[in-house]
Amino acid sequence: MQRGATRKFSTTPGTRDILPPESTRLLDVQAKILERFRLHGFREVITPALEYSEVIEEPRLRDASFKLFDPDNQMLLLRPEMTTPIARLVAQRLRNAPTPHKLSYGLPVYRRTGVGHGQSAEFHQVGVEVVGSTSLGEDAGAIALLIETLESVGLRAPRDFVLVLGQSAFYEGYLRRIAPEAASELLVALAAKDLVRVDEISAGVANEASGVREIPRLVGPATDASILERAARYAEGEAAAALENLRGILAHLNAGGHLPSVMLDLGLIGRHNYYTGAVYEVYAAGLGFTVANGGRYDNLLRRFGELLPATGFAISLERLLSVLPHEGPAPLLVLVGSTVEATRLAAELRSSGVPVLHLAEDLTPEAAVGYARSVDASWICYPAPEGLKLAPTEPGGEFEPILAEKVAGMVLS
Amino acid sequence: MPKGAIFDDALSALGGAGLPVEVLRENGRRLFYQAEDTEFIVSRPSDVPVFVEHGAADVGIVGKDVLEEQRPNVMELRDLGTGACRMILAAPRERADEVQRAISHAEVVRVATKFPNTARGYFASLGRQAEIIELHGSVELAPLVGLSECIVDLTATGTTLHENDLVILDEITRSTARLIANRGSYRLRHEEVAALLDAIHGSPHG
Repeated sequence: MQRGATRKFSTTPGTRDILPPESTRLLDVQAKILERFRLHGFREVITPALEYSEVIEEPRLRDASFKLFDPDNQMLLLRPEMTTPIARLVAQRLRNAPTPHKLSYGLPVYRRTGVGHGQSAEFHQVGVEVVGSTSLGEDAGAIALLIETLESVGLRAPRDFVLVLGQSAFYEGYLRRIAPEAASELLVALAAKDLVRVDEISAGVANEASGVREIPRLVGPATDASILERAARYAEGEAAAALENLRGILAHLNAGGHLPSVMLDLGLIGRHNYYTGAVYEVYAAGLGFTVANGGRYDNLLRRFGELLPATGFAISLERLLSVLPHEGPAPLLVLVGSTVEATRLAAELRSSGVPVLHLAEDLTPEAAVGYARSVDASWICYPAPEGLKLAPTEPGGEFEPILAEKVAGMVLS
Repeated sequence: MPKGAIFDDALSALGGAGLPVEVLRENGRRLFYQAEDTEFIVSRPSDVPVFVEHGAADVGIVGKDVLEEQRPNVMELRDLGTGACRMILAAPRERADEVQRAISHAEVVRVATKFPNTARGYFASLGRQAEIIELHGSVELAPLVGLSECIVDLTATGTTLHENDLVILDEITRSTARLIANRGSYRLRHEEVAALLDAIHGSPHG
């Protein structure tokens, strides 16, 4: 009984409380990312955490979702991702607005699978969707925005991360032409990243179809022209159009100087039957999972009665945070004192730009320093005649008298 | 590197590809070795995909049986052709007919196994019902002491089955050792992974 009772006060498996400084960092990075999105004209939307279960169609995502029932006994899901809710939002709310819709979001999503496999039941996704344009310039624009965003939070390519780019229509187009009977099975195997199975199936198709084995193995830096040259051998019909699309995207990326961050992988096709063109994943050094992924999915909105092409990406915020360089705490000054003068000083210091935590109690310096360290404040001060006395909270810090107007120079430097 | 049955084959495959595997031949209990630029992790076969999926290891060698059971999100690159074994359904000799009949009549049978997902999938694909009992070792014991009617397990030579007087009712899949890679490592360290793939001996397909 005792054990059961304690358990109720823990968080549920796969979820957690996020405390400072991690929580402030998470919100800071999210704000920085959304600010970057705004520089590209993306506007944020907020959708409900709950959706009718019919909204999410993909079996894998439905299985992954937490489910509950509303008062009418309709099955609801906690959203397992953001792309489908945004597709629903566009189809329902923006039907008559001019396209393309450039929308962004930064919200938690929920999945019950993956708990116990290094994944959380609740995690934050920050991303963009461009809905209503088939232009490859929008694909390239989204990719460039993703690279710039990662750079803006302190990552450098290729040292810290690489964006792996594929074109799912290339392999599919090649297969539909050269080995139509085996195409579906091959695509399932490749989506499962099972190159052994691809080889086994390819042994059963015509000899001249060497691309069945070779295309999934075309991997290399985007600056290496030989990858596309080798791919060109298999480019006919739909595959040729797909390769042309990829070349176009690379030309746009090159114009922005983004090519060194990009790696080509023509075996990358993403989830089965989901992406219809460009598809990409971001990997960071030292992390086995994707930090971000995205691509073009022109068929997703058809379900909602709209024929709207779409492209976009989502960044997994917690994973991104785990690979960001460490940053020291933001400046903070703890001002100790219960007097009216202390309150007046706190206001004066804040108006000079200093972040001040006013501790309205009369604590001893030892206790106050202990408190200040617990909230990651690097400075502490007391009101004193002619201003105040200030000390750093690091060990051995000494109080020195200082004028209020000089504090900003010390604390913010 | 997987401990156990496929360890030696894995060792010769990697050694043949030019990796400094000699350090692993010492008969110690160490689980982590370093030689030249390569670090080796030695683990239970069923943990190999976990190390690789999380990126703690860039590449790993593990049986297809483990991949089928766990379905990890990793790149499966090469069939090494070694460590061949079969996933089978088996029952005690004197009760084999009875179990066979129970399964064909869609009665619920109790199945002991170390591979619950594989066993569940197998019975579901037949449209038959099974109550899965997950064990972590010596599955052969289960039908002998009445814990289950039959077992789903891996066998290479059939010796253990024979010694416990179990007969094979059906073969579910065949399995060989696979070279797997982390999705990120496969791209971030693609040159090294590709070089290893070129150097390693594989099955006729590979």
